[in-house]
Amino acid sequence: MASIREQFEIPGKLKTWSYALIGVGVLAFILGLVTKGIGGNEHDHNVFIGTLMYNSIFFTLICNASMFFICATTLAMGGWQVVFRRIPEAISTMVPIFGSITFVILLYIIGSHNHHIYHWLSEEAKSDPVLKGKLGFLNPTFYITWSVLTIGLWSVLGARIRKLSSEADDAITMNGEAGQSFIWRNTVSAALFIVWFALTVGSTVPWLWMMSIDAHWYSTMYSWYTFASSFVSGMSLIALWVVYLKNKGYLEYANEEHLHDIGKFMFAFSIFWTYLWFSQYMLIWYANIPEETIYFKHRVQGPYRGLFFLNIILNFVCPILILMKRGAKRNYTLITFMSVLIIFGHWVDFYQMVMGSISKEEVTLGWLDFGIAALFVGLMIFFVAKALAKKPLMPKYHPFLKESIIHHT
Amino acid sequence: MAKKKFVVGCFDDEAVLFPAVKKVRTAGYKIHDIYTPFPVHGLDHAMGLRETSLHTAGFIYGITGTTTALSGIGWVFTKDWPVNIGGKPHFDLPAWIPITFELTVLFAAVGMVLTFCYLCQLSPFIKKHHFHERATDDLFVMVIECTEKTNSDDLQAFLRTNGAVEVNVQNAEPGWWLGLYGKEDQLIRDTQVVA
Amino acid sequence: MHLKYESQLREPLVSGNKDYHQVSEDICRPIEVKPTKLWYVGFFIAITFLCFGVYCVYREVTYGIGQWNLNKTIGWGWDITNFVWWVGIGHAGTLISAILLLFRQGWRTGVNRAAEAMTIFAVMCAGQFPVFHMGRVWMAFFVLPYPNTRGPLWPNFNSPLLWDVFAISTYLTVSLLFWYSGLLPDFATVRDRAKTKLRKMLYGVAAFGWTGSTKHWQRHESLSLVLAGLSTPLVLSVHTIVSFDFATSVIPGWHTTIFPPYFVAGAVFSGFAMVQTLMLMLRKVFLLEDYITMGHIEAMNKVIVLTGSIVGVAYLTELFMGWYSQNKFEGYTFWYSRANLFSPYGWSYWGMMACNVISPQIFWFRKLRRNIYVTFFMSIIVNIGMWFERFVIIVTSLYRDYLPSSWSPYYSPTIWEMGFYLGTFGLFFTCFFLFAKYFPVIAIAEIKAVLKTSGENFKETVGKEEEMQPETFAHEYAHAH
Repeated sequence: MASIREQFEIPGKLKTWSYALIGVGVLAFILGLVTKGIGGNEHDHNVFIGTLMYNSIFFTLICNASMFFICATTLAMGGWQVVFRRIPEAISTMVPIFGSITFVILLYIIGSHNHHIYHWLSEEAKSDPVLKGKLGFLNPTFYITWSVLTIGLWSVLGARIRKLSSEADDAITMNGEAGQSFIWRNTVSAALFIVWFALTVGSTVPWLWMMSIDAHWYSTMYSWYTFASSFVSGMSLIALWVVYLKNKGYLEYANEEHLHDIGKFMFAFSIFWTYLWFSQYMLIWYANIPEETIYFKHRVQGPYRGLFFLNIILNFVCPILILMKRGAKRNYTLITFMSVLIIFGHWVDFYQMVMGSISKEEVTLGWLDFGIAALFVGLMIFFVAKALAKKPLMPKYHPFLKESIIHHT
Repeated sequence: MAKKKFVVGCFDDEAVLFPAVKKVRTAGYKIHDIYTPFPVHGLDHAMGLRETSLHTAGFIYGITGTTTALSGIGWVFTKDWPVNIGGKPHFDLPAWIPITFELTVLFAAVGMVLTFCYLCQLSPFIKKHHFHERATDDLFVMVIECTEKTNSDDLQAFLRTNGAVEVNVQNAEPGWWLGLYGKEDQLIRDTQVVA
Repeated sequence: MHLKYESQLREPLVSGNKDYHQVSEDICRPIEVKPTKLWYVGFFIAITFLCFGVYCVYREVTYGIGQWNLNKTIGWGWDITNFVWWVGIGHAGTLISAILLLFRQGWRTGVNRAAEAMTIFAVMCAGQFPVFHMGRVWMAFFVLPYPNTRGPLWPNFNSPLLWDVFAISTYLTVSLLFWYSGLLPDFATVRDRAKTKLRKMLYGVAAFGWTGSTKHWQRHESLSLVLAGLSTPLVLSVHTIVSFDFATSVIPGWHTTIFPPYFVAGAVFSGFAMVQTLMLMLRKVFLLEDYITMGHIEAMNKVIVLTGSIVGVAYLTELFMGWYSQNKFEGYTFWYSRANLFSPYGWSYWGMMACNVISPQIFWFRKLRRNIYVTFFMSIIVNIGMWFERFVIIVTSLYRDYLPSSWSPYYSPTIWEMGFYLGTFGLFFTCFFLFAKYFPVIAIAEIKAVLKTSGENFKETVGKEEEMQPETFAHEYAHAH
């Protein structure tokens, strides 16, 4: 009975990779700032800001999805995820970091009155018959207050749940009363997070941050769609870290059974995303009201046509065909491949959601986008690895740990 | 339809059953089947049964449904009787998705259930020999087929030592025939139950 | 063999001192004894309602739709409200069996059988409304696509109403197959216990000659899993397509993109409420408190508060967008016809809000989740609230649309319209009473499969795993595997 490796030590190679990615990212940022941000014309400037914006929102939301996963499984009294629970916990430590970056970028857009991105910031909005009616919601004060509250409470409530999880490391025993109370306190914290999550990701925040770029346009589905997109990528991110740690010889008790269930989530929520995508698209297509179809006009018939179909292929066709088989969900290589594909696919989805509205005439996807994404990925690797190294990888005395150890599908 | 001779051993606990299956198999006996009141996980592996490919059949039925729906609606709306509906194009893919999805599911489900019934020979008015009536209640009934070499007394003793609570020898028809339960049946009456 | 283990912290799913035989005894007993007086009384009431319903339908078919108070403006009234309401209720069964199976919620075993039966009966009731709403019901076969002598005129495959035909019939078929394939082994149990020849024969026919062979079980498991996997998107698709009936049309309050997932959440919500109503009665009448425990009731109440809140978020989203869109017609529908309590139908909107969003919030409290009387009361409230929801959607959007000259006077149903609805209650409960008497109302085989991990008497004996260090535990497990 060999003792297991519970304490993650950050491998040098991982550090190098994260530095390299951050380096590439910073370089891209500086180059972008010089050539587009300051140097280019107004359109280039907006593209630069827009690129920063969708990347930061995307990465914040997919890291926050980890906390959503923890809370959802906690509320469902799930036991199977406990062996790798520390991974989504570590990923969720990114929320305050990425959240702050996002906030700074959004604050800059508001502060600089960039009405090319947020049309409702312009002076015309006050006389536009539609926009003036919306100003009660779309105004800088509310925007900033709500964003602060959102990011702040995500971070605080998430930290509370992570702190609670540490109790499972040093308690001598979690049986009986103590275990019961541990589960109970977890449930309460998780419920609080979920409620706030529903009020932000599930409704207001995507409207405010992203939908209001098309200030006249609206779709009630928008937020749930954004949630589906970020959650399925969040699950893929968890899968990537599980596979990585497993390859490095950690996570003794996580095996293909757990991977199988993560794979099921990736599969199921890819279909769920498609379902929401289809419902939104089809209803707008069917009713054919100009005020609504305008959103899809340049996406389906304009320069974004290619990305529009790529989006469906990456996020629906590939997952459904590849992840359907049981063997695929239990195969480390395939899951890794699919995770990368899904994260990339939804990154493209966020790209077209935001940039499709900022730069309607041309698709600007290029070195800047990949560079900024590299910056975020590098930061994520660096900080998540750090967070992983802080705590044992297994909540040793979690009351459901043993259920998780023998979990099989 | 030829009857065969079987040695039957009944177990009342799955924890005893598993080691017994292993021993019976290593001793070289051929397990005809084990009848259980509920699906016992891992028993199929212990018995060395191969995985079922029913789900693959389901996939094929599903694809058939998808194809039927798309080609059917496509033919009707673009070739057979193109109608202008709300100014939409004749080839109207988004509007066909719901029916396509429904038919995919319908074909897969119906096809799979029929295949399942066919493979397991399940149907109303079908009758089979039941080795123990408590196999659907609380007994795990292991049935071993006898060959010329099998000494049924030894085998019975072997099963007992491995935890069987009840053993006997039965001559039975292993297949199915048409008939009703509750009626005396020729094949049933002929079955000799040797305690 | 897989090591069986479940945390001691989890409530047992089966209480009392049970073994496999006792499980068969407990669940088959109601089938094998004479029905109680209560059963006869209930059955008689159900039949009475059914008869009245049949008479109302007879009047509608003979004299035409004029028997109902529908008019040119409010072309859909109680009939489609009831249709959507019943279909919604018909969602919980498949949800419990399929989605909870995929999410490994152990408590589903106690309630899935009855919930699936409820699903099937509810969908049967739902189907009556659009069919009789056709008016000339003997022409109903016109919806079927087959080469015909009428043109050849095909049905409009682009119409959500035709999608409904496919969705509902597929749903009914697949639910029936799923339910019946699960019933086979349990019918076999009843057959093998039967004391009379007639019972042996009938259940013998019903059980399809099931023997319990390991190979058959293996295929059965595979079948159940795939059917569960198919039913999960299917159950979503059905109410989605029902929502398309509304959302594809350009009518304020109907045309909104959130409708599909919000209808599904609402359907699950009302379905669970109805399951709750029926289960509370079933466990009492048939003495099944050991199988449908407080834990089951609490779990269902959690689903109710969850889905109620999702529906609440959707209501508020819609209301918000009614304003945010700055579309005059949307604004009028949402803020005048609905949210204004003093508009003609304002009462129905606030009734819906009170029943569906506000009152279920009491289930955040554990004490109330575990109180049978509160649960029963709430399950009825939720069912009423969900009926209001459909009424709100249909009538408040229709009664005043774009053209003020065609605004409708106040709509209230005729006695025959209401009678039709009551009649479907009769149909539903007639079926359910027969099911409860002649079918195993709890999945016997599934209960047996979880008995040794989740049965109260077995849980008490497995303390030693609880004390082990995780490493030791994993080590032992690896050996047992």
